Amino acid sequence: MRNIVTPGELIAPAPVMVKNAYIEGGKTYSKVLGMYDGAGRGIIPLEGAWCPTPEDTVVGMISEVKNKVYVADLSYFGRSLIVPGKYDEYNFSEGDIIAAKIKDVESRRTVILKEAELLEGGTLIRVKPKKVLRIIGKKDTMISQIAALTKTQIVVGMNGIIWLRGGNLALATEAIFRVEREAHTSGLTETIKLFLETKSV
Amino acid sequence: MGGPSVNKPELVINGKRVDGREFNELRKIKITASPLVNASGSAYIEWGNNKILAGVYGPREVNPRHLADSTKAVLKCRYSMATFSSLSEHGRSGPNRRATEISKVIKEVFENVIMLNEYPDSQIDLFIEVLQADGGTRTAGITAAAVALATSGIPMRDLVYAVSVGRIGERLAIDFNMIEDNYSDSDMPIAIAPRNGEVLLLQMDGEMTKAQVSEAMDMAIGAGKTISAIQREALREAYALMPGNTDKQ
Repeated sequence: MRNIVTPGELIAPAPVMVKNAYIEGGKTYSKVLGMYDGAGRGIIPLEGAWCPTPEDTVVGMISEVKNKVYVADLSYFGRSLIVPGKYDEYNFSEGDIIAAKIKDVESRRTVILKEAELLEGGTLIRVKPKKVLRIIGKKDTMISQIAALTKTQIVVGMNGIIWLRGGNLALATEAIFRVEREAHTSGLTETIKLFLETKSV
Repeated sequence: MGGPSVNKPELVINGKRVDGREFNELRKIKITASPLVNASGSAYIEWGNNKILAGVYGPREVNPRHLADSTKAVLKCRYSMATFSSLSEHGRSGPNRRATEISKVIKEVFENVIMLNEYPDSQIDLFIEVLQADGGTRTAGITAAAVALATSGIPMRDLVYAVSVGRIGERLAIDFNMIEDNYSDSDMPIAIAPRNGEVLLLQMDGEMTKAQVSEAMDMAIGAGKTISAIQREALREAYALMPGNTDKQ
């Protein structure tokens, strides 16, 4: 049984290593608002900011071009840069939408991107970063299902920005927002499948 | 505010308080978690006639930059009363002596529960806007701000609550309203971390004996169980969306 736990709530009367919990005075308490099922998976936070990790896929907009170095706006408060390597041939201009991977996270919250590619046309939507994993689904099930049933091209950024193009855009957007809203419920892939099938007819 | 007043109203009528409450009875409290979409976290509280909105932004870039700390986040807090919040107009709603003081004490409350070291080089902003005031706005503001911080996902050690206890004549009473606040003999707002009973804010106007202070603490901790339950219930309610029950949000 999954329960919602709130900060400061007792998780275990003994010191136990649980993700997103802390130990004080020999007892374990939750430090976030999250879901906890009592097993070893830790507390899954319901809200929170994105914490950049190497190899994350991100979607953003080029906000500045300076001497072949591109500054990308990932709606993250640190700086994010694309520094082209010897064999990279980037030619972005301000306002271009790009998808990239995180190469490295440096001190002072600077994020270095790699493998950047241009996303032409399309629409951007913003979701809560903590819900992105649910939108992608286990082994990409959720997102590939939405993409297939609406015939939309979708790129999901871990920073909470999602790019969509073509197909039934409105339905795909609606489905993604529904996943975001109901991320903490179970059997969601089936619910969304049913939702898409009834709506797309 | 202590001191004799020429026009002091009767605060105890037929053994009950001016608004008909018992001495250890709280006003009605209703909390809504995350009513605002654009803020990282938010909460709205109706505590008696108090109506307060709390919002959290961040973690975000430190401004001005020289205040950045590479070991922990910087917490900023702004308590402000709307121009239309009280009976007499507040004039302009900018920071005044009272708001600056309350912002400072609220900041110190939350510095002790937020795990600031998890967000080095960043800033967390906490805004408390009093829309309608009826005594005890700082305690209601702290109670709402704790819920707002929880909905922002910022790691915290505890969900703080606050309540005021005061003295009317020789009797102690909890959760003063505006009239009691203005004409009672003593008023003591307290903020407590319910996990271990840590006192994070303790201010006092007027005078109390040592025995009365310890009795007041007991009353606050007793009432805190109710307030804590309301806070946690508000958080659960905001996320208690079950499959097939999609109309709730």
